[in-house]
Amino acid sequence: MEELKKQKKDFENNNLTNNKNNKADYLIIGNSAAGLAAASAIRSIDKKGKILVITNEEYKNYSKPLITYFIAGKVKLENIYFKNEQFYEDNNILLFNNINIKKIDFKKKLAFSDNNLNFTYKKLLFANGGTPIIPEIQVVEDNKLINKSENEDKIINSINSKAKIKKEDNSKFNFNNTLNSNNYKEISGIFTLTSLTDAINIKKYIEENKIKEAVILGGGLIGLKSAEALLEIGIKINIIELADRLLSATFDKNASLIIENQLKNNSSKIYTKNTINKIFIKNDKLIGNKLIGVELSNKEIIKSNLLIIAIGVIPDLRIIKESEKLNKKVPNYGKGIYTDKYMKTSIVDIYAAGDVVENYDLLSGNNANIAIWPLAVKQGEVAGMNMAGISMEYNGGYFMNSIEILGIPSISIGFANLNKGDKDKIEVIYDFKPEKNFYKKIVISEEKIIGVILVGNIDRAGIYNGLIKNKVNIAEIKENLVKENFGIIQLPIDYRKHLVIGDGIEV
Amino acid sequence: MKKIYIKEEYCIACRLCEIYCQVEHSKSKKILKAFKKEKDILSRVLVEEVGYNSFAIQCRHCEDAPCVEACISGAMQKNKNTGIVTCDESKCVGCWMCIMACPYGVIKRDLSEKKIASKCDLCSDEEYPVCVKNCPNEALQFKE
Repeated sequence: MEELKKQKKDFENNNLTNNKNNKADYLIIGNSAAGLAAASAIRSIDKKGKILVITNEEYKNYSKPLITYFIAGKVKLENIYFKNEQFYEDNNILLFNNINIKKIDFKKKLAFSDNNLNFTYKKLLFANGGTPIIPEIQVVEDNKLINKSENEDKIINSINSKAKIKKEDNSKFNFNNTLNSNNYKEISGIFTLTSLTDAINIKKYIEENKIKEAVILGGGLIGLKSAEALLEIGIKINIIELADRLLSATFDKNASLIIENQLKNNSSKIYTKNTINKIFIKNDKLIGNKLIGVELSNKEIIKSNLLIIAIGVIPDLRIIKESEKLNKKVPNYGKGIYTDKYMKTSIVDIYAAGDVVENYDLLSGNNANIAIWPLAVKQGEVAGMNMAGISMEYNGGYFMNSIEILGIPSISIGFANLNKGDKDKIEVIYDFKPEKNFYKKIVISEEKIIGVILVGNIDRAGIYNGLIKNKVNIAEIKENLVKENFGIIQLPIDYRKHLVIGDGIEV
Repeated sequence: MKKIYIKEEYCIACRLCEIYCQVEHSKSKKILKAFKKEKDILSRVLVEEVGYNSFAIQCRHCEDAPCVEACISGAMQKNKNTGIVTCDESKCVGCWMCIMACPYGVIKRDLSEKKIASKCDLCSDEEYPVCVKNCPNEALQFKE
């Protein structure tokens, strides 16, 4: 431990004096699923090489998907770490927190941070994940809304609000009247929820302000995960979604309906085909700018002191884009950084893994950015092995996720929202019992499963996943797929024998 | 490592493996007490039966365990020395990613107290897994 600290100190000093002899063998940007899977893989092969992990966050490591469970009180801070305290020491990994890599000189193999600490490397991994999208929304200062609405119904009609907005045109609001990714943190009560820091701030804010009701902008996975957490701690929620239903990217109409009904039955409000037009804030000398409500595109006003912006996350390409000014060539990118099956980018010795990547989608055959935990771990491991000189291939992945809303578990895998007639040769088998909060849907293309939705009962979900992954021909077992007792015993005989009689260790 | 091997042709679906598994994973570990006083004890071995076909299946303790890769809380771990995949109940948050990932479908939701994933632990306290020990027809075998 002491030795590591000394090494780190030495390293920092050397770096500040630009001692080029002090070179990282492996520089990993990102301290989450992909980054640490890569670090582990590298260390399993290369026992001596110097591994540096750099993160712009303040925490040692934590599981990102657990941050909503932390808000819900299901995970304590001391349990949110997915690698134990000793991980860095045990694997001789140097961790640098609170450091923003700004740009990279790919020719000199030099990474510049924003605090004069520069890093040289032999091999570099981008594992820096995604960044939340902040929509531009008009911000209106309105000290009266809160007082007025406190005495009245919480929904104020639009005529009143219009009158107020005129009044504020000469207010001293200093946000240029538009919310964006640079200024949203300056209004207390407006949050994104993609980091542990966000989660801690939200939890603290909820407690300090005794929040009873919240607005969530975005009815996708992050929005619903946020909703899941807030509902657990008794906060009423309003979900604002642009599409005509919740989870529109991963669910179909039937599945969305079950979740929506469950939310509505528990006094949550869902505003589909809607967005936020205006954000109302109060300016207070003591607390600064504070959120007091929002106006939707249907002109309805919701009074709330908490807004979680959850409309999506995109690969964080800020370093790459900044590096374009410095280099003739940067790693090729589209929506995310492109990689080959070895997780190599288009620039030699530069690798990428996790949510920042756009690569092979096993189901569509095209490139896709599939930002989910299990794929980040897998990609990180593959990247690490190849960085350490062991050839290993990433076979591609596909989308899947599990979410539980108010006691209803659900899982969606692959192209789950396709319906018959959407594309040629799409076949759908389903069992829909909305009154029992139950839905099972299998999407089939050319006798192979390409999508699954399970709502209400998710037992044995992984069997479908295995059928998808192994591209098993299910022609002979179609009628069994949505049966209640569906199991391995109904699978095509060859695949079943492989699972049951085979020595059972290969997947 | 020693694993449980399934002999499909010997299984007669007597389900004794399920019963002994439930008893082993009950609090009292006594068959009558467990069935009378403890509710919702899950069997971690699962007998599948259609017509005359049947077999018992439990966690395969995979080399590259998909449940471990999918686990977001670090609860699901494969022990490097024993090879046994276990779920640390204190860390499990019941997100069900493991259920989504397991191609054998042998992880269950345990809702009896705090929501957690329930799976075969190979009865690591015992010399033999109880399902193997109590199978009257040797349809389950425990060997290297």
